[in-house]
Amino acid sequence: MSGTTPAPAPAIAARGVEKWYGPLPAVRGIDFDLAPGEFVTVFGPNGAGKTTLLRILCGAVKPTRGKVSVAGEDVGESDGARRRIGLLSHQTFLYPGLSAAENLDFYARLYGLPRRRERVEQALLSVGLQDRRDDRVRTFSRGMQQRLALARTLLHGPSVVLLDEPYTGLDPHAAAMLRGVLERLKDGRTTVVLVTHNLSQGLEQADRVVVQVAGRWVSDEPRGDVDAAAFERVYTDRVAAAV
Amino acid sequence: METTTARPAAGYVHSGVGSSTDSLAGTRRWAMVLGALAAACMVATLYMVFFYAPTEATMGIVQRIFYVHVPSAWTAFMAFGIVALCSAGYLWLRDPRLDAIAVASAEIGVIFTTNVLITGPLWGKLAWGAWWVWEPRLTLTLLLWFIYVGYFMLRGAAENPERGKRFAAILGVVGAVDIPLIHLSVQWWRSQHPKPVIMRPEGAQADPAIIQTLMVSLLAFTLLFFSLMLFRYGLERLQTRAQALRVAPR
Amino acid sequence: MIAAEPREPAAVAAADTSAGRDEAWDGATSAGAPFLAQVWAVARKDLLLEARSRERLMSMATFAVLVAIVFSFAVDPAVRARSIGGAMIWVTVLFAGTLGMGRGWALEREAEALTGVLLAPVDRGALFLGKWLANMAVVLAVEALVFPVFGLFFNLGFQGSLAALVAVVVLATVGFIALGTLFGAIAAHTRLGETLIPILLLPLLAPVVIFASAATQRLLVGRPVSDVVSQLKMLGAFDLVFLFVCTALFGAVMEE
Repeated sequence: MSGTTPAPAPAIAARGVEKWYGPLPAVRGIDFDLAPGEFVTVFGPNGAGKTTLLRILCGAVKPTRGKVSVAGEDVGESDGARRRIGLLSHQTFLYPGLSAAENLDFYARLYGLPRRRERVEQALLSVGLQDRRDDRVRTFSRGMQQRLALARTLLHGPSVVLLDEPYTGLDPHAAAMLRGVLERLKDGRTTVVLVTHNLSQGLEQADRVVVQVAGRWVSDEPRGDVDAAAFERVYTDRVAAAV
Repeated sequence: METTTARPAAGYVHSGVGSSTDSLAGTRRWAMVLGALAAACMVATLYMVFFYAPTEATMGIVQRIFYVHVPSAWTAFMAFGIVALCSAGYLWLRDPRLDAIAVASAEIGVIFTTNVLITGPLWGKLAWGAWWVWEPRLTLTLLLWFIYVGYFMLRGAAENPERGKRFAAILGVVGAVDIPLIHLSVQWWRSQHPKPVIMRPEGAQADPAIIQTLMVSLLAFTLLFFSLMLFRYGLERLQTRAQALRVAPR
Repeated sequence: MIAAEPREPAAVAAADTSAGRDEAWDGATSAGAPFLAQVWAVARKDLLLEARSRERLMSMATFAVLVAIVFSFAVDPAVRARSIGGAMIWVTVLFAGTLGMGRGWALEREAEALTGVLLAPVDRGALFLGKWLANMAVVLAVEALVFPVFGLFFNLGFQGSLAALVAVVVLATVGFIALGTLFGAIAAHTRLGETLIPILLLPLLAPVVIFASAATQRLLVGRPVSDVVSQLKMLGAFDLVFLFVCTALFGAVMEE
């Protein structure tokens, strides 16, 4: 990733991003630059526009104003930018009627990945689903589905990984696996944006901590040595002050 | 989804393109002017229909319904043409004003189409001896009525208003593209069957007074259409604005 | 809980999550899948799903055969079925086909898979054509059943050119399914859902009904191929127009 990206271009940058649903605002002017390798957690109460923000960042939702670029390329227009992004949502984006391997194979085809078969096998192995490769996703537990969704997210080797409440509904086993994967993503090249309202899970890997309320970033600070309890007080104050 | 529930803070700023601040006073003034002209023309039309135009020899008095039937059909087709152009324009530029013109035109187009579908059979009962005959143009009109009723169902049923506008615009374009194909097909279809005896009052031997009356009536209906369209357009814009004010803090 | 893996979670995670990423290949620099490969990926996925469940094929085919049965009850025995064979067949095909158009999009929304597809560097036109291709395959399969069933039930005794009949069927289906796929996608994003599809579709499909049933009827009674050339041309024109228009407009359906 760094080979093709000249150092000055941020991994992902937002400029004056706003999203209105008719007369209702969801995101109201967000600006930021994230460097390659940065891990940012965005906290916020329900309805803060966090999901909308992530969907704008990955190009699924067109912002009403402003723009998002990934490695200097506009997300809305460039396939190059789309290829660099992986999104893990609480929805799995998988076809329940297809097997695990078929789901990954389909996405590998869409992304035009070389050495498809090999990649799919590696991805299945990496989330420990190689024994269930030919079983339909419908038969999987929520945790297994989410692991497969994780494999799908990382299948094309994205340099920007966006995670929307990834821990929701996970059993401890799957949550531990997810935590391990997130740890591995801190390789200095992959930029991660994690969106959650769960303070302790969100704080674990973060380098930078953001609080979003009513569509705005009301706080954006380095993680430092704040522990969860101290952060909770700060967070509550910030949210209360902003509302 | 948490997306649409974000509470707007103070200092409400609307987001749409050219949306809420442009004045509608001009629109309203033009709608009134055109409405007054349409009313004047309508009075002239009524006078001409009943006192100026001669009674058509073969069909008698019922032929006079023609002065409503033909201008209604003309207006409806013009309306759907405007819907198609504004729909394509909306998909291209995403200007809500184009969408508002399209809705206004579609609504009035449906009303005039209904008019055609009511006056056609009234006339047909005497001309053809049957309330309904699958005459190609009447058939096309009937299909159009259903297409544009679908236009409003689609608009209302969409998950959010923005989607509704886009979906309706797509149907507006598809419908317009389909009109010539439907026209050709129903024409071909009717040519396969024994034709009803159609007495066309606009035939070559028509009295000049009949043609003049028809022309004045066409003008009256066209003016009426644009007047109604502008009123309806203004209403649509006001509705958007009112909706914006309702969710915004004062 | 089906956590079948007794493995230590951390160990599994350590088993290399990002094998691909560590190699020379870089997702961002790959050329991406060519247009036709994208079309095929989408169509292949849909056909695979259909092959697994056969739910659409089975429901459409069953419905079509039932309509044939209902027709035989409803049509007066004094009426020579042969004189209305083309009409009955195309009414059945249209209704059965419309029935399947919504389901193809419902599949995409089950776990929001469509969002995942739209995030990939995929051309919207390729996505549309892939869905169209899969729908074509399913509906053509239903048609391959409907014709013999009607032939059998109504003793139609087809006398014309089989090749010409196939041409009529394929040409009529191309345009029908182009509009069906587009409005299926639209209806999937409305509150009324699949009920909306026939309401929007049937008036638009008047040319298909008229030309396809007329051509089928002529071939059925053994008229020469030259008698259906003009209908074939009209169906072809309908296909070209709507395949193009629907592919072009599809992007606007997929926006959020």
